[in-house]
Amino acid sequence: MPDRALDGVRVIEFADETAAYCGRLLADLGAEVIKVEPPGGGRLRRARPFVRGHEGDPNASLAFWVHNTSKKSVVLDLETDEGRSLARKLALTADIVLEDCPVGYLAERGLGFDTLHAEKPSLVYTSVTGFGQDGPHAHWAYSDIVGQAMGGIMTLAGEPADPPNLIYGRQADISASIQAAQGTLMALLYAEATGEGQRVDVSAQEALSMAQETAMQTWDFQKRNRTRTGELGMLPIPLPATGVAKCKDGYVSLYILAPAGKDLPALVDWMREKGMQGPLDDEPYRTIVNQLNMAWLTQLMSNPAAAGEILQHLPVITKTILEFFATMSAREAYEEGQRRQLLIGIVSTPKDIAENAQLRARDWFVRIESPIGGTVEFPGPPYRLSETPAVISRPPRLGEHTDEILASLR
Amino acid sequence: MPKKPLEGLRVADFSWYGAGPIAGNTLSQFGAEVIRVESETRPDGLRRVHPFAMNPDGTFKTGYNVSGYFNNFNTGKLSIQLNLNVPKGQEVAYRLIEKCDVFLTNFTPRVIDKWNLRYEQISAVNPRIIAAYAPMQGLTGPHRDFLGFGAVLTPVTGISHMSGFPHRPPIGVGTNYPDYVINPGHTVTAILAALRYRNRTGKGQLIELPQIESVVNALGTAVVEYLVNGDNPGRMGNRSLNASPHGAFRCADDPESVGSVDRWVVIACRDDREWAAAAAALGHPEAAADPRFATFEARKANEDELEALIGSWVRDRKAEDVAAALQAAGVPAGVVQNAQDLLERDEHMRARGYYQYVEHPEAGREAHDGPAFRLSATPGSVPGPAPLLGEHTMEVCERIIGLSMDEVADLLAEGVLV
Repeated sequence: MPDRALDGVRVIEFADETAAYCGRLLADLGAEVIKVEPPGGGRLRRARPFVRGHEGDPNASLAFWVHNTSKKSVVLDLETDEGRSLARKLALTADIVLEDCPVGYLAERGLGFDTLHAEKPSLVYTSVTGFGQDGPHAHWAYSDIVGQAMGGIMTLAGEPADPPNLIYGRQADISASIQAAQGTLMALLYAEATGEGQRVDVSAQEALSMAQETAMQTWDFQKRNRTRTGELGMLPIPLPATGVAKCKDGYVSLYILAPAGKDLPALVDWMREKGMQGPLDDEPYRTIVNQLNMAWLTQLMSNPAAAGEILQHLPVITKTILEFFATMSAREAYEEGQRRQLLIGIVSTPKDIAENAQLRARDWFVRIESPIGGTVEFPGPPYRLSETPAVISRPPRLGEHTDEILASLR
Repeated sequence: MPKKPLEGLRVADFSWYGAGPIAGNTLSQFGAEVIRVESETRPDGLRRVHPFAMNPDGTFKTGYNVSGYFNNFNTGKLSIQLNLNVPKGQEVAYRLIEKCDVFLTNFTPRVIDKWNLRYEQISAVNPRIIAAYAPMQGLTGPHRDFLGFGAVLTPVTGISHMSGFPHRPPIGVGTNYPDYVINPGHTVTAILAALRYRNRTGKGQLIELPQIESVVNALGTAVVEYLVNGDNPGRMGNRSLNASPHGAFRCADDPESVGSVDRWVVIACRDDREWAAAAAALGHPEAAADPRFATFEARKANEDELEALIGSWVRDRKAEDVAAALQAAGVPAGVVQNAQDLLERDEHMRARGYYQYVEHPEAGREAHDGPAFRLSATPGSVPGPAPLLGEHTMEVCERIIGLSMDEVADLLAEGVLV
């Protein structure tokens, strides 16, 4: 076993959907994370999708797995005196308490920040909820989609003709957990230096509101709301070589007018090599292709009328480019395009990610035990630390460590 | 003024655009001294893009210092101009890194090689350095020099395929989504873990955060469904495998919402109790007992009808009223808010004081995202405006790096500090 960054840190977790990924990040980095679960387990234990053939098995929810690797599980019933008393004893053995219960729930059971911190001043107590610990919505019911809506990111996603789009993957919960991990570690470092613990308060709404990109500043400076614009994003009008292109077997996304890569002429060079430049070497297209770059785009964003004469010619350029991408596979478009320093992203399906040449070449996927037997392949950690690598081990079975942990409290 | 938890920590921020600078911004908000290394020969692209601050006459301000996009992610940092394409610039970089605890970059390995900023080079200068590299694809491998930013990662990591409505092409999510929380947040998490290790052992280390690995890790169950079950799932709009109804429903327009008059409420009913409460709160308790909708399985089987029905209930009502009625009944619900709502109309955001305002010497008074987590004893805050390009070149050279005024004058004359 390598050295672990969070070696010797004990976390007692009263978390289900919103803070579990925070606990997972700490656990994979080496903290001992003991998850206190209600009898039968929480919502995530019952969440689809399950391992095929094991629907409903609390140890077979893939949604539970991805947020709960490397932890231990203790079942305690906080609705009983005995459960509360054991939970309290256990919490006082912790360096960190991590929770995502409704505001006040743990305090009503003798497990609130004030009580525990009074008894153990070095304790870091992290609360992760939809709207934080105070304010008029502190007690509002929360689920991931509510965080994505109230935090402002849904309003930016989707086609104007459709409802605003949810981003896949519990992104409000994930964002809240990632913010909580940072706050928790800062508070831990401070507690280790000074002996002083504190409360870390995370609101899922606030946690992802920075992901509004420029919408907040656009309102602040210009009193204009950014709205959902389909694939245009920040672009004021559709432009060639931006947006989704259909290939023979899938899609790529093009961002060739964005900064950091090569501009349109490099794409036309590639098209010419395949004899597919169409009319783009002829006027007026040739001049326009040379003109469409970031500087022009910035000018356009200040003054959309600046596009002027060019606008009427753009559809031909776009059509020629889309015809070019339609002749190749998505992977060829992505890999060869990137080799030419063109900003192109392949639209990966989950299978494509599992087979991604870069991830495979770097041995990113890991093999872990399955909580229901055998082993499975699993995504690796988000970062690689040379001296203290994150190590992913399997999620716990419901109550797997109850006897062991409770025996240690006696 | 309470102490900030990262006081005394010094960060050499060699990053640009979103994911890197935001990691530095978080460290800055919590007390670290963050030195942003820039060059006028290749300024951060965000300095040159909208939204720009405006003049009183309604025209846009111009120059490198008035982009709200850049300014929001670089609060309280120091800015030094340094040309890393010349050997003397690289020498100054080493002398800066020697005085820092953390090194941060999100350039591709190709550029890192060119600037001689590889880990073995900078750790030779400062063995205690915690060096965080966050390139798109990692430091090695066949795609290591692939270019991009958040909007390219969105398709590459599966977000585009998995988000949005299935009858639409995979258009993405409208923003450079992973740049803002997932990648900078994972980066800071790793830096803080490495700091703890250094506190205990004195040893620095290399942190590699390939943005593709960071994002796929945070992307729900999709890849695990393939690895474990062999399924290759796709997007399902706003629906959920675990709740029904689950989606956004159009309410009455709000003419006061500038340029964004359509208003939507989201509703998530995770069990029959929440569904019954929602139906009652919306004035249609009978719908809960309707056999088409009485159980979760029935609601999933009749979801088109269910959504049309709820849509008809709320279409002429004010979104805020619908959300409040549902919340009063304990049902997760909320308005799909825009920036105007978040900055000005959301009483909860205002009560918690999330946004913080600072005066910027060129842009004027600006709103900033405040800290996204609150520490009761050692709170963070927006420490000050973003630096003007090169604003602190002299200060960093003299006070931090320890160069003499003569040395600085020579470097300026030789075009190194540009």
